[in-house]
Amino acid sequence: MSFLLACPICGPRDVYEFRFGGEILRRPQPDADEQDWVAYRYLRANPAGQGREWWFHRLGCRRWFQAERDTTDNRVIDTWFAGEDGHV
Amino acid sequence: MPDERLRAGLAERIDRSQRIQFTFDGRDIEGHPGDTIGSALAANGVSTLSRSFKYHRPRGLLCAAGRCPNCLVNVDGTPSVRACVEPALDGMAVTSQNAWPSLRFDLVSLSDRFDRFLPIGFYYKVFHRPRFMWPFFEHILRRIAGLGVLDATAHPERVERTRHLHADVAIVGGGPAGCLAALEAAAGGARVILVDDAPELGGHLRLTSAAVRGDPRLDGLDGIAAAARLRELLAETAGVTVLSEATAFGIYEGGLLAAAQGTIVHRIRARRIVLATGAAERPALFDRNDLPGIMLGSGVLRLARLFGVRAGRRAIVLTDGPWGWRSAVDLLDAGVPVTALLDAREDPSVGMDDSLHARLVDAGVEILVDAVAVSGRGRGRISGLRVRTSFGERTLPTDLVAMCLRPEPVTALAGQAGAQRRWDAALGVMVPDAPPDGVLFAGHVEGADDLATVLASGVLAGRLAVREAGVEGAPDPAPALAALESARASAGEAVAAMPVGKGPGGRKQVVCVCEDVTVKELTLGVYEGFDDLETMKRYSTTTMGPCQGKMCHSLAAGVQAELTGRTRAEVGMTTSRPPYHPVSLAALAGPHLDPVRYTAMHDRHAALDPTWIDMGDWKRPLHYGSVADECRAVRERVGLIDVSTLGKLEVRGADAGEYLDWLHPNRFSDLKVGRVRYRAMTDEAGVVLDDGTVARFEADRFFVSTGTGTLDAVDQWMRWWLAGTGRDVVITNTTNELAAMNLAGPRAREVLERITDADVSKAAMPYLAAAEVRVAGVPATILRIGFVGELGYEIHVPADYGAHVWDALMEAGRDLGIAPFGVEAQRVLRLEKQHLIVSQDTDALSGPIESGLGWLVKADKPDFVGRAAIAHAESTGARANLIGFEAPGRPVPHEGAGIVREGKLIGRVTSAKWSPFLEKTIGMAWMSIGPFETGTPIVIRHDGRTVVATLQAKPFYDPEGVRLRA
Repeated sequence: MSFLLACPICGPRDVYEFRFGGEILRRPQPDADEQDWVAYRYLRANPAGQGREWWFHRLGCRRWFQAERDTTDNRVIDTWFAGEDGHV
Repeated sequence: MPDERLRAGLAERIDRSQRIQFTFDGRDIEGHPGDTIGSALAANGVSTLSRSFKYHRPRGLLCAAGRCPNCLVNVDGTPSVRACVEPALDGMAVTSQNAWPSLRFDLVSLSDRFDRFLPIGFYYKVFHRPRFMWPFFEHILRRIAGLGVLDATAHPERVERTRHLHADVAIVGGGPAGCLAALEAAAGGARVILVDDAPELGGHLRLTSAAVRGDPRLDGLDGIAAAARLRELLAETAGVTVLSEATAFGIYEGGLLAAAQGTIVHRIRARRIVLATGAAERPALFDRNDLPGIMLGSGVLRLARLFGVRAGRRAIVLTDGPWGWRSAVDLLDAGVPVTALLDAREDPSVGMDDSLHARLVDAGVEILVDAVAVSGRGRGRISGLRVRTSFGERTLPTDLVAMCLRPEPVTALAGQAGAQRRWDAALGVMVPDAPPDGVLFAGHVEGADDLATVLASGVLAGRLAVREAGVEGAPDPAPALAALESARASAGEAVAAMPVGKGPGGRKQVVCVCEDVTVKELTLGVYEGFDDLETMKRYSTTTMGPCQGKMCHSLAAGVQAELTGRTRAEVGMTTSRPPYHPVSLAALAGPHLDPVRYTAMHDRHAALDPTWIDMGDWKRPLHYGSVADECRAVRERVGLIDVSTLGKLEVRGADAGEYLDWLHPNRFSDLKVGRVRYRAMTDEAGVVLDDGTVARFEADRFFVSTGTGTLDAVDQWMRWWLAGTGRDVVITNTTNELAAMNLAGPRAREVLERITDADVSKAAMPYLAAAEVRVAGVPATILRIGFVGELGYEIHVPADYGAHVWDALMEAGRDLGIAPFGVEAQRVLRLEKQHLIVSQDTDALSGPIESGLGWLVKADKPDFVGRAAIAHAESTGARANLIGFEAPGRPVPHEGAGIVREGKLIGRVTSAKWSPFLEKTIGMAWMSIGPFETGTPIVIRHDGRTVVATLQAKPFYDPEGVRLRA
């Protein structure tokens, strides 16, 4: 792994400065079915292609942000800070 | 001892006025400063440097450029050093490797005579039957396999380093195209890094006396002078960083260019990469083509030009085009006697410069046309070459064969970068197709062999690179493109290489010198069905040795094409992967960095010479001499422990309380100012991640403590759940700015009262009170909590005052019998209270309910992280229970020991200690099957014995918590 990620604050940096935070998920409502909770906790789309993910600039500004990355070639298409709905 | 030094030449790098001396297998070797080990050995007439991998055949210098495996030697204990590029230093002890018992007489080389027992893929076929014999053979094979021996006990003093370099343009290859690209890119304003594997720039120009034309800076000079001119120009140019003797071994995703330079690995980030990796000769195929004395022509020239060494006295040149005639003239110019030239073509006049022919005829070189080598003669070194021409076969006496076949583009890095390779029928070589994004090609790598074209393509690549890199003011590359097109147009017709094919016959036509794979073995492999180059590679291990195909790739592909009746275009090339060149694992790993963190009171501990324990990066005192005495001090008097390693986070903001509620099963929004509460954090699966405390000092300011090792994870976790929520919360990690200590024991209050004006009485500061006061004259945060189960105060002060407050407490408690205590005593004391340690007593499946923390969960909270999972766990019942046990005597079971009942594993020990205060074994365990009542006997497996214990659900010490609340 040696691709670059553009931190919204610090700019393009080596991926080793970051922690991968997993796919961006939609958290079920508290009263949702158990199946929904199981899916939320354990099931991932793991696309071969573009997906939206969380990243944390661990050795930099220590901010979480979101990125669109192509998992087939590790091309990072875009990065941005989570909006108000970042965790719904 | 023979002396093979030539008269001094213009390009040579040795200092003949001084001498150095080293040993090779115990024999004294003299050389000059500037020599490599290989050149000094050649100057002394040493022609066998190593034994080959499988058949232990004698091998000598082949490429003399650090590309082949033939000269791997052990230097002062370091195995597999390439003698031909390693500088010879005075006093070195060089030994041959892979030879047993000696280089001259190698018993394993008998395997060469019995090669029918070591066929292709032999490790799948022989030695396996009868089956009981395999361990015996395996033992022998393991002894003789591999290259060199690593001395595992040696601790070399060298230091590996990783360097991160940034540039607008990185150029790989310091030949004419690479140098011109660097000059042009720098002139255009770029910051340039030029990576070259040779000790000095100039590439193949350093070896030739051919006249240079095609660039005004070099026109009229010969190759050697042109190389010197390029070095001068680059030295005068600002903005070019040259990495010499550095091998670019990989282009990784994201355009990361990696280069190894001795013990340094450079990680180079550039906006554009120019690959000017040039072209390299390949060996010829004929029987016994690996005898010492058979070399690549460029290797012979390198020895002659750079080191003034004559590799032989009657050289034969093998070639398939005008390039070999040029090399023959260069050999003569350098003083190497050439007796014959074999051109494999029927009509050598194609593309020929007649002056070369005249020159060779004048020098008395016998010229044989339509002539190929059949086999090498001689033992230990070539003494004759059997050749075949249209007139028949004959043997020419010789001691040196210079193989000058068409240099082939070095496309490995281009392939790694993503370029396709295609067969260029006009040239008879594989060339890279269109360069991938961010990469440009320059020079021979594209296939061109006309020097004017090479120079023009270097200029154009430099101009394009600086422009594509986005450097402001970079000049228009259009004129350079026009110049390249003009150079191409005026270059003569290209001469194609003769197709690679197997020689006329013989058992020892070595294709792969690294792995000792012959034409015969590849033939057998094709019969066995391995008709694809990639599968043949894996089956035969051709191209998989130390040279990574540099010598053998096109030979293997050519033979494969011939054997399967396909074209080279159909056979293709195998995938190029990093590393292109051997790199030591130590260099890849980089420097050994082992950071150590010390608490503010470290010197106070060190003065007592404690036994230390590493906890993460931290050094902590495990104990100061007697764990039992330390436990007794805390239980009977007062103890002091350094807990600075706990994580500390300040959480503030209008939404801080609500946010902490969200992150925990219990509640903090209702925590009163001046109070502290236990916290345990769960993830969405309801698993306990971490525990600690939360204290509130203002409506919108909380002080959160975490475990020692979990701080970073908790910090990230808390920030993640905050991201994008718009909550008014700010998290600040204050761990490093605070020192912390825990004052605990029945006399703790008395000690504290002596050094603070604050009211720390039971009424003013009861159990679970929190206060910001002054202690010993400095600001302090005090939490009345008791991990060890006594009246206790956790005191946090600015780190700079840590030692001061420690001293003040120790002094104030001296007459009360205060004693420092370490981590081990703390572990015993907390276990006496059955206070769990997250991730020791819990694991990746432990929820709060089964961990005995069910009282934390506030089911009336509308939602929090982990609520759904905890609710589910509550409804299905606990999977297992964490419960205490005790035994009257020893042994103390291992942590992790199994608990068995009727032959079934029903639990395991998570913590177990001998309690010196209670004088019994105590512990905690996960039990998956009940009954869980106090007094239930359990059987623990310990070192093959059984230990009988009884369950104890309540704390072993002060179960009502009276002392805690004192």
